[in-house]
Amino acid sequence: MHEMSIAANIVDIAREELGRRGLRTLTRVEVRCGALSNVVADSLQLCFEALTAEGPFAGARLDVVEVPLVLRCRSCGKTFAGTEGQASLWLPCPLCGAEPGHTVEQGREFFIQQLEAE
Amino acid sequence: MEIPVIRNVLEANDKMAAQLRGLFAARGILVLNLISSPGAGKTSLLERTLTDLAPEFRMAVIEGDLQTDNDARRVAASGAQAVQINTEGGCHLDGNMVMQALGALNLDGVDILFIENVGNLVCPVEFDCGEDAKVALLSVTEGDDKPEKYPLLFNLAQAMVLNKVDLLPYVDFDVQRAEKFATMANENLGVFEVSCRTGEGLEGWYNWLRARRAAKKPA
Repeated sequence: MHEMSIAANIVDIAREELGRRGLRTLTRVEVRCGALSNVVADSLQLCFEALTAEGPFAGARLDVVEVPLVLRCRSCGKTFAGTEGQASLWLPCPLCGAEPGHTVEQGREFFIQQLEAE
Repeated sequence: MEIPVIRNVLEANDKMAAQLRGLFAARGILVLNLISSPGAGKTSLLERTLTDLAPEFRMAVIEGDLQTDNDARRVAASGAQAVQINTEGGCHLDGNMVMQALGALNLDGVDILFIENVGNLVCPVEFDCGEDAKVALLSVTEGDDKPEKYPLLFNLAQAMVLNKVDLLPYVDFDVQRAEKFATMANENLGVFEVSCRTGEGLEGWYNWLRARRAAKKPA
């Protein structure tokens, strides 16, 4: 349940970005969430709603956009989409059939992409 | 109005972790973040390590738990400095908590600082505490598929200690399976099969600690 800490960080960053621009009302936040980032989107929504229930951020929408998993085969060195999510880590390379041991090229990130404010 | 941002959500913690890392580097302290499920034996591993290596190293411990100072009292019995953080329900330690805990420790002459994280295989992995290495602890009374279920920890850890191997005759834990997937997640993972109860296998873990300690000289 680290989603509450994460939601609090999102709210802090939004407050700072809005303050710097003299804006007060947050209407939307878009976060990009890697398929392996260990963040439960529903739980994050709930925490974000709780933290923004009152005040100038009330009613702000949180959009969590998943960043798909991309793996690189340790054997052939090519990248491929981890279409099975976390389970892809344990599947052979779809290109050369090598045993797993793939490195994660994309799918761990968790960042704020955009804010919308008034 | 739309504001493009591109900011890492955990940047506040990452900044604190960088500050901690600088502080530890200046003092040449090796810092290890111990992560496991509840009951895998983090405190037992520390009790053994603090006692057995007391003649070689000065060590200190930051203990993270939801409640009680039981673990800090257990490890302090070895003579090492220990400070307890109660997260009051929080599922992980973060950089800020570690920074606050340092206020209660005398770091002069400390060679190794252990951070015993809250028992949890998910959340602690996400929060950098300024450590040199994460150490994953697993025990044979758990499922042997933990590395498959929680690959991020084993991917990011530099060592895996498999505890309670004295119980292997009585449980169905498949050591090969656990180690296969853990090392698939991280080919450089150091793996140590130990029993904190009997002391079996601990020398390998101690040698890893000695090597890591030797590699970390004061800046």
